[in-house]
Amino acid sequence: MEPTPALVARNISKTFVISEDSHNTVKHRLFNIFNPPRKKRIEAIKITSLEINKGECIGLLGRNGCGKSTLVKLLAGVYPTDTGFLKINGSTMLMNLGVGMSHELTARENIYVSGSVLGLKIKEVDAIFDEIIDFAELREFVDTKIKFFSSGMVARLGFSIAVKAGADIMFLDEIFAVGDMKFQEKAIKVFESSWIQGKTVVLVSHSMEVISKYCQRAGYMKDGVMKFFGDTQTAIQLYLADNQ
Amino acid sequence: MLLRVVKDWFSRSNKIERLWLLAKIEFKLRYYENKLGLLWALLKPVMDMSIYYVVFKIILKSDTPAFASFLFIGLIFWNFFLESTTGTIQILSTKKYLYEYSNMNKLEIYISTILSNSIGFFFNLVMFLVFYHFIEIDSIGFTIYNFWVILLFFNLFILSLAISLILSNLYIIAKDISQIWQVFTSFLFFLSPIFYSLKVFKDALPSFDYGNPIAGIIINGRRVMMEGKPPDLELFIWDFSFAFFLLLTGLLILNKLGSKAAEKL
Repeated sequence: MEPTPALVARNISKTFVISEDSHNTVKHRLFNIFNPPRKKRIEAIKITSLEINKGECIGLLGRNGCGKSTLVKLLAGVYPTDTGFLKINGSTMLMNLGVGMSHELTARENIYVSGSVLGLKIKEVDAIFDEIIDFAELREFVDTKIKFFSSGMVARLGFSIAVKAGADIMFLDEIFAVGDMKFQEKAIKVFESSWIQGKTVVLVSHSMEVISKYCQRAGYMKDGVMKFFGDTQTAIQLYLADNQ
Repeated sequence: MLLRVVKDWFSRSNKIERLWLLAKIEFKLRYYENKLGLLWALLKPVMDMSIYYVVFKIILKSDTPAFASFLFIGLIFWNFFLESTTGTIQILSTKKYLYEYSNMNKLEIYISTILSNSIGFFFNLVMFLVFYHFIEIDSIGFTIYNFWVILLFFNLFILSLAISLILSNLYIIAKDISQIWQVFTSFLFFLSPIFYSLKVFKDALPSFDYGNPIAGIIINGRRVMMEGKPPDLELFIWDFSFAFFLLLTGLLILNKLGSKAAEKL
C-alpha cells in the first residue's frame, strides 16, 4: 500500500527579525519615522524539505537552540513559513510543557474546548470525558478553574487530553518531563501500548532511548539546518558525535 | 477566499458545535463571574437609557415621540457594536491558548465571541419588545415589518466582525490602537442618530446616514420596529455592501498580520 502523506514541507524556512527596541505603538512609529530600529535577523530554520507519512513516528534530534521547536511550530501550522510550501492534512496538536488551555476555565470546560478544537464532536468528548479525568487523576477538581491547579496538575490534564482526544498529527516536545514518577510511568506505558500505532507523531526528545524505541525515522538538526533525515540509528550517531 | 472558508466549515460538521460551545463559555465567563450576573446584561441598557432620557427629554426637552423606546432600540444596536469592537481588540492575545498549540482557524475565535455578544443582544431585544408593547404609551403595536430586524442584525454582525478583525490584527503591530479606537468610538457615538431625531441628524450632517455604517442600521431599525415601515432599501443595501467591503478588508488583514500573531504577541 502506498503510504499517504500526512505532512509535506518543501523548501520551508523561517527567519525571525528582532528589533532591539520594539516599535509597537502608533506613537512610537510616528516619532521614529526617520530613525528605524536596529534589527537583528535570526535564521531559525534554513531551507528545509521533508515529508511525513500517515502513521509514522518521527524523532527530532539536535542540541539546544538548533531550531527543533521552531520547526515543530512551523509544521504544526502555528507559525507561518517565510518561504516554500507546507501542506498539513488534518488537525494538529502541539504539546510541550503547557498545551492550549485557558487558566480562566475549569478542567471540565478546558476538556470540552480542547476536544472540540482537536476536531471531536461534543458527544465524542462526552464519551471520553471520564477517561481523561481518571487518567489525569483530577476527579475532585473537575469544576475548579485551572488557575488554581499546580503546574503538575495542569501538565497532567494536558497530557491526558492529548492522549485521549489526540489530533491527526501530534507534535510532542519533551513530554516525558511531565508529572511525578508515577505519572511518568503511566505516560510511558501509554506509548508502549497500542496508542502510538496508527498515529502520526513527531517526537522531540533528548532521550536517545525514547527515540530509538519508538521512531521509525529521525531527523538530526544543527544550526537551523536539517543535516540528516532518515534512519533513526544514523541520526542518533550523528547527534552523539555532535555532543562530543 | 470567503467561499472556501464557508465551505470548509460546513464540510467539518463539528465546527458549528465548536462555535456554539466557545460562544456559550464566553458568555458564561462574561456574566456569571460577577455578582450581578446576567442581571447586568439586562440592567445596562435600561441604565443607559435612563441617563439619556433625563438629559434629552427632561433637560433638553426633545420632542421625539416615544422617546424612551427610540433611545432603547438605538442603544442596543450601538452597545452590541461597541462591545463587539472595543471588547475584542485584544482577542488574539486573550484567546492565544486556542491557536498557539494547534492549527485552528482564527476566524472561528472571532465568530464565537461575537456570537456570545449576540446572545446578549437578543436578551436586550426581548426586553425592548416587552417595554415597547407593554409599557410604552405611544406604541403602534406589532407589525409584519418587525421581522426585518433579523436581517438588520445580520448586517450589524458582519459590520462588527469586520471591524473587530481589522482592529485586533492592527493591535499586533500597534498596541495603542485600543486608545485610538476609544476616542474614535466616542466621536462616532455622537455622529450616530442615537438620541437625535432623524430630521435633526440629517439636517446637521447631510449624507452621514451613508457615511457612517452604523447610522443606517439604527435608522432602519427604528423604521421596522417603531414606525411600522419597511426599511429604506437603498440605505439597507448600501450598509450591507459597506459591511461586506470592510469584512473583506478584515479578512485580508487577518491573513497578512494575523498569521504572525503566535510569534508576535
